[in-house]
Amino acid sequence: MAHDVVQAVAHDFGSAAGGLESMSEHPSYLRVFLTFARNSLVRDMTFRTNFLVDVVASLTWVSMQLAFYLLIFAFAPSIGSDWGKYEFLVFLATTLLANSLVGAFFMPNLSEFSELIRTGHLDFALLKPIDTQFLVSFQRIEWSTLANFVFALCLLAFALVHLENPPQAIQWVLFIVYVGCGVAMLYSLMIALSSASVWMGRNQNLYDFWFYITNFSRYPMEIYEGPIGTPLRRAFTFVVPILVVVNVPARMLAQPLSAQNWPLAGFAILATAGSLLGSRWMFVRALASYRSASS
Amino acid sequence: MYARLLTWWTILRICLEERLVYRGDFALGTLMRFLPFITQIFLWSAVFAARDQSPLRGYSYNEMIAYLLLTNISRAFSSMPGLASSIAQQIRNGEIKKFLIQPIDLIGFLLLARVAHKVVYYVVALAPFALVFYLARGFFSGWPDVTTMLAFLVSLVMAFLLGFFLEATIGMVGFWFLEVSSLLFVYQLFSFFLSGQMFPIDILPSAARAAVDLLPVPYLAYFPVAVFLGKVQGTALAWGLLVQAGWVVLFMVASRVALHRGLIRYSGFGG
Amino acid sequence: MAIIELVGLAKAYRVYQKQEGLLASVRGLFHRQYRTVEAVRGIDLQVEQGEFVAFLGPNGAGKTTTLKLLSGVITPSGGTARVMGHVPWKRENAYRRRFALVMGQKNQLWWDLPAQESFRLHQQIYLIDPARFERTRDELVELLGVANLLKQPVRELSLGERMKMELIAALLHSPEVLFLDEPTIGLDVIAQHNIQAFLRHYQQLRRITILLTSHYMKDVAALCKRVVIIAQGRIIYDGSLSGIIDRFSHHKVITLLFPGDDRMPSDLARYGEVVEEFAPKVKLRVPRKNVPDVLAGILARHAIEDVSVEDPPLEEVIAEMFSLAGEAQTGDGEVDRVAERVT
Repeated sequence: MAHDVVQAVAHDFGSAAGGLESMSEHPSYLRVFLTFARNSLVRDMTFRTNFLVDVVASLTWVSMQLAFYLLIFAFAPSIGSDWGKYEFLVFLATTLLANSLVGAFFMPNLSEFSELIRTGHLDFALLKPIDTQFLVSFQRIEWSTLANFVFALCLLAFALVHLENPPQAIQWVLFIVYVGCGVAMLYSLMIALSSASVWMGRNQNLYDFWFYITNFSRYPMEIYEGPIGTPLRRAFTFVVPILVVVNVPARMLAQPLSAQNWPLAGFAILATAGSLLGSRWMFVRALASYRSASS
Repeated sequence: MYARLLTWWTILRICLEERLVYRGDFALGTLMRFLPFITQIFLWSAVFAARDQSPLRGYSYNEMIAYLLLTNISRAFSSMPGLASSIAQQIRNGEIKKFLIQPIDLIGFLLLARVAHKVVYYVVALAPFALVFYLARGFFSGWPDVTTMLAFLVSLVMAFLLGFFLEATIGMVGFWFLEVSSLLFVYQLFSFFLSGQMFPIDILPSAARAAVDLLPVPYLAYFPVAVFLGKVQGTALAWGLLVQAGWVVLFMVASRVALHRGLIRYSGFGG
Repeated sequence: MAIIELVGLAKAYRVYQKQEGLLASVRGLFHRQYRTVEAVRGIDLQVEQGEFVAFLGPNGAGKTTTLKLLSGVITPSGGTARVMGHVPWKRENAYRRRFALVMGQKNQLWWDLPAQESFRLHQQIYLIDPARFERTRDELVELLGVANLLKQPVRELSLGERMKMELIAALLHSPEVLFLDEPTIGLDVIAQHNIQAFLRHYQQLRRITILLTSHYMKDVAALCKRVVIIAQGRIIYDGSLSGIIDRFSHHKVITLLFPGDDRMPSDLARYGEVVEEFAPKVKLRVPRKNVPDVLAGILARHAIEDVSVEDPPLEEVIAEMFSLAGEAQTGDGEVDRVAERVT
């Protein structure tokens, strides 16, 4: 499934690039992507110990998070009105799914993007007859992060067994579509942030910034209420649509379908398209001000 | 003596300048630091709403938020971003050799660089911190008494030293194992979940609590805040400060010994 | 029609100026000072198909910047350029499939993977027909003699071997124009020679157009008939290698061999500057126009066993020329230094 989602995104970019360039003949983005995936795997396997350490480390990390939430549910029956323990575990699993996909496919590339700029190695990406954003976004794949993906699937299965209303087929379809949208939105945010690093010269805080912003997406949006919470919820829904990323798909799967959800679900589609286009625009602008460091 | 002071002052100044060059990082970094805290407020507010505001293991809602806010202060003292990894990296690429040649003490140099780093951070962060605490003043039930305040300050300084020497020691392990990143990760994991920055460690089940108490990490975040909130008083306070000081001394000695032995081992290789 | 055509091409950078001192650093938080560095100040150049042109110039003269402008990596601040009819900085795929850039100081191959994996990736990115890809690859591998290294991770290759792999990667799609930025930098003499021999052979075989920057005069002498000299962002010479000496060197070197150690006169300095003295042999540097008189004088007065008159070494002429170009623009020295960092 990881492949499907990412290929869908890859395809999006293939056609987005087509709109911006006047070339008729494009390389096969799918095949290039598969070669990236293969090369990354070959590379990971040459450093097997490292790979295993990474897997264990990231699994420990998510287990600790899980423990924290279980601790919280020892003191409260629910968070917000709708999110009991198992509903919240679905929510958590969705967060982990989206983040592990982003972590596996985009994080290693875009954290390297500012390094490419600092060292001038972006030159090579610019020379290739292929969309630069595609090349910069997909070059490396961190296979070890997909361990979290598997963890998330197990957690999801565990939580769903305990749910009062197990999801129907249509909910599964919507869930998959909206996790895809969520990943695309996170990806756009990441592109926008790393493009910003072109203007700022270097950006050590890129990771921090990323962490702080996505932190908001980790909880059900209902908890943001009151004189501060409501504006905050609106800002992180409509300005930077980070709350939509997990909330929409998690609700699709964990709660019974309700007509109340449709406006937000519709908006999520718009937000996905908007953020992809917006981040593309920022990326193109960033390239224009790239000045290529020597040596 | 004067010449020596001058050397240290020059090092401190150069570090300060270096830190100030990248304003974009600074402005963003400070601003963003409080974002996760906002989500924590809302999370706990939802938790307390679900339990009809009844106190949770001795913490009222206000106290819980005050606690979490204050951990930002203790973390501002005890966190040492990049310290261990940069030491390990310098060992790996051989840069550490320059401390064998130059008449500078490595640990002293790093400590000063860290002080510079922190001083600049506090200068830039003072305004945002003040603003946040002013806005959140409703969560506090007034200033603690002078003794508590003094104990709080002492424990903060010790938290800084403990954080520094702990991470320095981890970095020095790089003399023996070239890859310290996994060890560092374990440390970060412990310090994230068990130092008390996510939640007060007194809400853990009692067996877990007893185990965590045996670790140095609670003195990085939990302890100073517990002092401020008056959760630790009298002999418990004195004992706590003593244990914290003990950890500081232990890691101070450990980092020295590790550096000394490591350099001997290093020069033995002739690398 | 020229395959490469530059008219008034210029590139200026804005550089953040770090202030000395603590207070100034604090001020830098709020207000930044920039200054403009002109790396390339208006270059006009035409290159015909099949030419092998060398760019010479001191560090920071604008050579690399010019190559980067031509490969579309950066956008100029003025002027126009056409390469095979394309504007480079539009970065059209059609253009990018027709040229290649090799930089001696940067590598593009995957560090931890065998070079052949990177080649395979190039095949897909450049849409190279599989049969043709294999033919070209085998041919290049054969020419460079690296068949046994294809399966080794790039990080385990020597610098020279890595450069050969970089060249293969760059030539897999059979570019019509090739930009080489210091391709032999840091290589030992044998590796340099191998790369030169390969480039000469490949260029004669395919008749492609090559622009090369290099610090090694040997590269240039071995490969290029035409030399473009850039200093301070401008072209100061464009012509043949031997023409440089005619134009810029005002001296000749006279080598005299005397019949024996004791027969060598001690007052040779009055004929010209003594460059080298190993009795019974001496080298004199003499202004060109004085050569006949000096020779006549020496031959009339002393017993000579052998004599030769030569042009001074090229390196020397060019070094002299650069120092002249530098002096002609005193005050710009600082800018030049900055340009070095940026370009």
